[in-house]
Amino acid sequence: MSPLAPADVTVGGALAPLTRTVTQDQITAYAAAAGDPNPIHTDPDVARAFGFPAPIAHGMLTLAILTEAVAAWAGGYDRVASISVRFSRPLIAGDTITCTGRVADVDVAAGMAGLELEALSDRGDRVLTNGRASVRLVSRD
Amino acid sequence: MPDPTHVGRRYQAPGQVIESAGAARFAAAVAGSDPVAALGPIPPTYAAVYCLFPTLGQIFLDPEVGLELAGLVHAEQSFEFAAAPVPGETVDATAEIVGVAARRGRWFVTVTMEAHRPSGEPVVSGRALLIAAGAPA
Repeated sequence: MSPLAPADVTVGGALAPLTRTVTQDQITAYAAAAGDPNPIHTDPDVARAFGFPAPIAHGMLTLAILTEAVAAWAGGYDRVASISVRFSRPLIAGDTITCTGRVADVDVAAGMAGLELEALSDRGDRVLTNGRASVRLVSRD
Repeated sequence: MPDPTHVGRRYQAPGQVIESAGAARFAAAVAGSDPVAALGPIPPTYAAVYCLFPTLGQIFLDPEVGLELAGLVHAEQSFEFAAAPVPGETVDATAEIVGVAARRGRWFVTVTMEAHRPSGEPVVSGRALLIAAGAPA
């Protein structure tokens, strides 16, 4: 893992997709680690009452996975300058999320790259849309 | 129920300690059955723990705002990471309601949040859009 320099980055270039099956155990662990007790993420009866077949992952868990994909591409968590998403559809426990992205712009003078991002589930739901991130590049003289 | 007069309400969550053990539990939960990513000590969205949930949680429980929690949707989120948090450091988090609008029977509540070091140096800032039921149709 090493940070990217402007010469490493091409507009239109793709990030390596990150695919992860998100289990109920994982969602329950995230609820505990993040301190979010909302039962829609852990109680099947509550999830069904809201029309979901099973508990749903926290939007923030899906954003964490997307952020990992960006940081893996950029060469570390500290390279991620910003990230934003719309939580368009919930990810159901047991489903698989695939995070993808491409380079939208590179600002060599500022040492920044802009990414467009999204995440789909294996049921075809667009889980995260309108994703954007900016990444700090390094100068390599 | 929410009301545009709630714009400007601020919530404080001082003294958030960024603990390595907590960040490691968080990173393990994000990884699930995959190996934990070796990308640094603190995942960026650990800001959920030291900034977002401690402040949004207060908004959820503010009886004067009266958000209907059943079916509350976190619709959008953005973060800007000004500085990488250092394990063991303490930051102060704040949030502010910056928008309240009723559309098609639902409340659209926009909240900004930030966390900074005791020196005032910013660590993270962010913006959340929450959508809740109970607005006039």
